[in-house]
Amino acid sequence: MSEQTPFFEIRNLHASTEDKPILKGVDLTIQPGETHALMGPNGSGKSTLSNVIMGHPAYEVTAGEILFRGQNILELEPDERARLGLFLAFQYPVAIPGITVAKFLKSAADARFGQGAVKPSDFIKRMRENLAFLEMSEQFLNRFLNDGFSGGEKKRMEILQMLTLKPSLAVMDETDSGLDIDALRIVSKGVNRLVGPEFGLLVITHYERILNYIKPDHLHVLIDGRIAMSGGPELVKEVEKNGYDWIRERFGKEVLV
Amino acid sequence: MTTAQLDPAVVMVPGFDESARPAAAEPDLITARREAAFKQYLELPMPTARDEEWRRTDPALIPFERFKPAEAPRRRAAPSGAGPWDDTFDVVVSVDDTGFEIRDNAGLLAQGGLTVQPLAEAAQRHPALIERYLQGPARVKHPRKFSALGDAFWRFGLFIHAPAKAIIPRGVLIRYTHAQSGRSVVPRLLAVVEDQAELTIAEHYESPDDAELLAITTRELYAGPGATLRAASLQEWGARTYHIGEDWVRAERDARIEWVTLLLGGQVSKMMVSCDVHEPNAQAYLSGLFFANRTQHVDQKTLQLHTAPNTYSNLLYKGAVKDQGHSVYQGIIDAAPGAIKVDAYQMNNNLILTEGARADSLPGLEIDADDLKCSHGATFGNLDQNQLFYLRARGLPEAEARQLLVMAFFEEVIARVPHEFMRERVREDVRRKCGDAA
Repeated sequence: MSEQTPFFEIRNLHASTEDKPILKGVDLTIQPGETHALMGPNGSGKSTLSNVIMGHPAYEVTAGEILFRGQNILELEPDERARLGLFLAFQYPVAIPGITVAKFLKSAADARFGQGAVKPSDFIKRMRENLAFLEMSEQFLNRFLNDGFSGGEKKRMEILQMLTLKPSLAVMDETDSGLDIDALRIVSKGVNRLVGPEFGLLVITHYERILNYIKPDHLHVLIDGRIAMSGGPELVKEVEKNGYDWIRERFGKEVLV
Repeated sequence: MTTAQLDPAVVMVPGFDESARPAAAEPDLITARREAAFKQYLELPMPTARDEEWRRTDPALIPFERFKPAEAPRRRAAPSGAGPWDDTFDVVVSVDDTGFEIRDNAGLLAQGGLTVQPLAEAAQRHPALIERYLQGPARVKHPRKFSALGDAFWRFGLFIHAPAKAIIPRGVLIRYTHAQSGRSVVPRLLAVVEDQAELTIAEHYESPDDAELLAITTRELYAGPGATLRAASLQEWGARTYHIGEDWVRAERDARIEWVTLLLGGQVSKMMVSCDVHEPNAQAYLSGLFFANRTQHVDQKTLQLHTAPNTYSNLLYKGAVKDQGHSVYQGIIDAAPGAIKVDAYQMNNNLILTEGARADSLPGLEIDADDLKCSHGATFGNLDQNQLFYLRARGLPEAEARQLLVMAFFEEVIARVPHEFMRERVREDVRRKCGDAA
């Protein structure tokens, strides 16, 4: 693998918002077929990382690179990143009254796959299948996007978009927060439908609960803008049991050495 | 104020003096109305930028002196060509520089289920109705210069009458297509929907970009007890057309008015609608959409008049400005003394899409009653950055994402347009204006 171009690689990423440094040198590599989980205490920079990956204009990258199939995506606009196959499931999806879910999904699919690449009749058929799979009513197609949706409905809508756009690499920003156990099961079912040898996934979460449904191959702990520790799935239980302090202590020592 | 005290230079709208009055013989009823209006026209001074209402729309923006009144269009026997939407209406009236025709698609006119006639003809056939309604009780308060002008000088007058209990949901389309440069057109509409009847009236205004035109429109619409009147106008004048429009609407007991004005074309548009919810349980839904780009100037004044207790009005005007575009909205909710249990709402939302564009909004209340519910407000802003990022994160290029958000902003008003073709046409116009580089 080392001879090949990595699929997705974050190198020494530094980013700030409103002149406040948040990310202070993040390194992370994801290969196709891998699911990575990123955990960390509040304020450690988890959401900043997801926003920077997608190119949110409120964040400034001060150093480092993000390479997707060898291309530095930091030079690209958010929509160019999306069309390359990157996807961010938002922690707080915005409501857009006036645009129906159907219109929005069709516009997004046309942008990603090319105008006319999907026949309208096939598109509607696929939407119906995806809605059924996510245990959502077809009436969602005629509702305005996220307008008056419950928290769980908004998160399912994110997954519906993910299924529609078939990304190569997806970042889920605390998709599990605020979900009850049924919604969590449905959301996970949707994500697992995409998991496969061509797909990379980064699950950002506060709680290990979602990791019972979406099994990570690797876990990273983000503390104070850096990856303080990485490990296999066994690390999940340790974080759950002991929290972050022991990592912070050990990390602090390593930095001091 | 008497005529003698006023200098003709102060009262005459250039192009509209004694010599511009219609010469052809007309029924006495019409002549008498024109006389009264002409007298009033002479008593009212020409508005200037010093008047509060015209402070942001200087009348000097309109080059009145460059226009001469157009000839009255003559009735055509044979159809002069169909519009793409004609089939979706029961009756189609098309008016152009030389002629007009009235097409009875569903046989309603022949059966007497609906009347659509030139005003002069209606004055002979239905004198009692014309006597009662032409320059009638919808013309409350404030005499206005351009309404008086319209009443005195109109060249194409139309009367629409739906008899009691007639249900005509497909309704009447009036198409105005003018192309003769250097002319002013002065159409006049009177519509009456009687007790329990239901009628839709759609109007469409069109002119080519290279024709320089002035349109002065005056409309008067009545919804009788329990009637439903839907009136939608789509203004798509070309880039060198100037438009002054004044509309007077009145709803009787239990009547419902759905009013939609869509202002997309023209160089300068100065519009006014006065809607009187006149008797208990009358309801009015007033909706407006406007989009001024390039150097367009759009000014709209609305009056929600609550002259009776237990009346309801709901106004939503949404506008966008771009490039050097400038929009003005002035709204008044007026509740008469004793108009208790009134429920009135007025909202004007504005999108300011580029630097250099300007939107002014002046919502207002004039209330002489208590025990009522009145609220009004205005908002201004550019597109929401989080919504924009969300769409772009799903692959939509910036220009397309912005366009979609502008469409979304207007959708609430577009949804109130009574015909699908008109909704689609407005969406197309908005899309085109979003993509239009100044």
